[in-house]
Amino acid sequence: MLTIKNVTKRFGGLTAVNNISFSIKENEIIGLIGPNGAGKTTLLNLLCGIYKVDSGSIRFQGKEITHLAPNQICHIGISRTYQIPQPFDAMTAIGGVTVAVINGKKRENMTLSDAGLNASYFLEFVGLFGKRDTLAKDLTLYELRMLELARALATSPKLLLLDEAMAGLNPGEAAKALDMVWSAQEQFGVTILWIEHVMKVIMKAADRLVVLQYGEKIDEGKPETVMSNERVIEAYLGGKDAEN
Amino acid sequence: MVSIELKRDRLLMRWKQQKYEWIIEPRYWRNPILWSLLLLVFPLFISGYPNILTMVTMANLYAAITIPLALQMTGTGRMNFGPQFYLGLGGYTSALLNLHLGFTPFFTLLATILICLIIALLLSPITWIAKGLYFSLITLILPLALLDLTYIFSDLFKGEVGLMGMDPIISLGRVTWNYVAYYYFSVFLMLLFLLVAEKISHSRFGLTMASINENEDVALMMGVNVNKYKVFYYVFPSILTGIIGWFIVHTFRTFAGVTYLPLDFMIKMLIIVMIGGRASVYGMIPGAYFVCFLEEILRSIGTSNYFVFPLVLIITLVILPRGEGLYGLYHKRHPRDYFPVMRVRRE
Repeated sequence: MLTIKNVTKRFGGLTAVNNISFSIKENEIIGLIGPNGAGKTTLLNLLCGIYKVDSGSIRFQGKEITHLAPNQICHIGISRTYQIPQPFDAMTAIGGVTVAVINGKKRENMTLSDAGLNASYFLEFVGLFGKRDTLAKDLTLYELRMLELARALATSPKLLLLDEAMAGLNPGEAAKALDMVWSAQEQFGVTILWIEHVMKVIMKAADRLVVLQYGEKIDEGKPETVMSNERVIEAYLGGKDAEN
Repeated sequence: MVSIELKRDRLLMRWKQQKYEWIIEPRYWRNPILWSLLLLVFPLFISGYPNILTMVTMANLYAAITIPLALQMTGTGRMNFGPQFYLGLGGYTSALLNLHLGFTPFFTLLATILICLIIALLLSPITWIAKGLYFSLITLILPLALLDLTYIFSDLFKGEVGLMGMDPIISLGRVTWNYVAYYYFSVFLMLLFLLVAEKISHSRFGLTMASINENEDVALMMGVNVNKYKVFYYVFPSILTGIIGWFIVHTFRTFAGVTYLPLDFMIKMLIIVMIGGRASVYGMIPGAYFVCFLEEILRSIGTSNYFVFPLVLIITLVILPRGEGLYGLYHKRHPRDYFPVMRVRRE
């Protein structure tokens, strides 16, 4: 579905993403992990077109998307959430989702009220229907994360990029959020690329893991096999000696 | 028979099967027909006082300038500090074409629209590249540059004196009638702009506009073609402002850049935007009327006017409830109504 081939991105002298290649199959959940500054979010920004790729290519469903603008990438079906939730502060929850419904995909003859109805479906799905008329700035962190998810799903994506969806949530909320992601995959048939720091969650959720360190891919595979790789342990825990 | 009955919050009137009710609290009087009627009947009582009539006409024109300005500020997500640039552009275009080439008012209108369209399209890329304070700075400088041009080429633009003797739109034979007619024209323009702005801001495009004002980058990620929208919301209100310039030229029949292009005119416009209701389109009308009346009243106290006028405006801004301006007094806001947040500095 998505093929990333030899992608490199430099910021001045710093190579944030160096020669990374992997691919994603349909209906998979891919976990993207790595220590801080490994280039995970940069890779995500490259996928949604915020940054332009220096070299290499990104193909989505056989179509080159390397040089498309973010809004065009959104139209062909890639949507994302933010690490730090970025709601439209002065708009209500339903307002923000309605914007995504209207603009996410070409929908001919959709009036504002139709879009509002559609948006309320997504809000209901993430459990925020009761808060639809609350301004986004008054929502809690968990609700903001759910609002982000609703907004991302409302653009009717085929590939959903989650950037640390669990950061700052307590275990109960994290479990709820994980269920939400699973049911989103089931109901909307989305493929998910998931950056996560909470290992417990990502080990449970991901079909495959991709590990980055210093902008390079150091391993890829099933969660159990990846976690037994020495280089991954070194990257995360600082070598075998650190454990003692 | 007719029966009238006073409930706690409303007046009920029954006649046969019909029921009419009138909510007593003024902020629920949201009947646009009522207010439009008031605007239409009002000049008949004051037609004997041409100075008041001119003032009210001016208030209508201020509102007609600030309504597109409010639309522009939300649509591009930036504070425009030079709305009067297109006023000057439209005014000079129609005045010069009328004086030197003999265009009739109808053709000068077309020319004004065309010139404003071209110039605004040429300048619209500044909405893409100018971030933070720079958009405000650039738009601040444009009208001042135009003003300087009118001084430099004063043979053509007649610098400080201004151009005079353009054809009127309509001439009814008596001066008073003309004033009343111009008042109605200005009301028509104002209500037309209000209707257009209202229709835009309460449609799906208005919601998208709000998202651009909130956060451009996120809007872009949600598939909004931000660049296209910003060009539209820069160009379209500019044309509307140009039309006001055309109107001033063909009604007051004198046009000088000194009156409309300097900074104090801009400050008046921005104050109307803030005092009327922070870029909500309806608020511009009470804002414009308030500022015009205040100016007229304070003119009598002489030079201390320069001190008292801003003081009164500051006090008004502070004491108005919830920062929603004059319109907030009248209108009870539903949470779903988007109320724009104006920021001069943006990332």
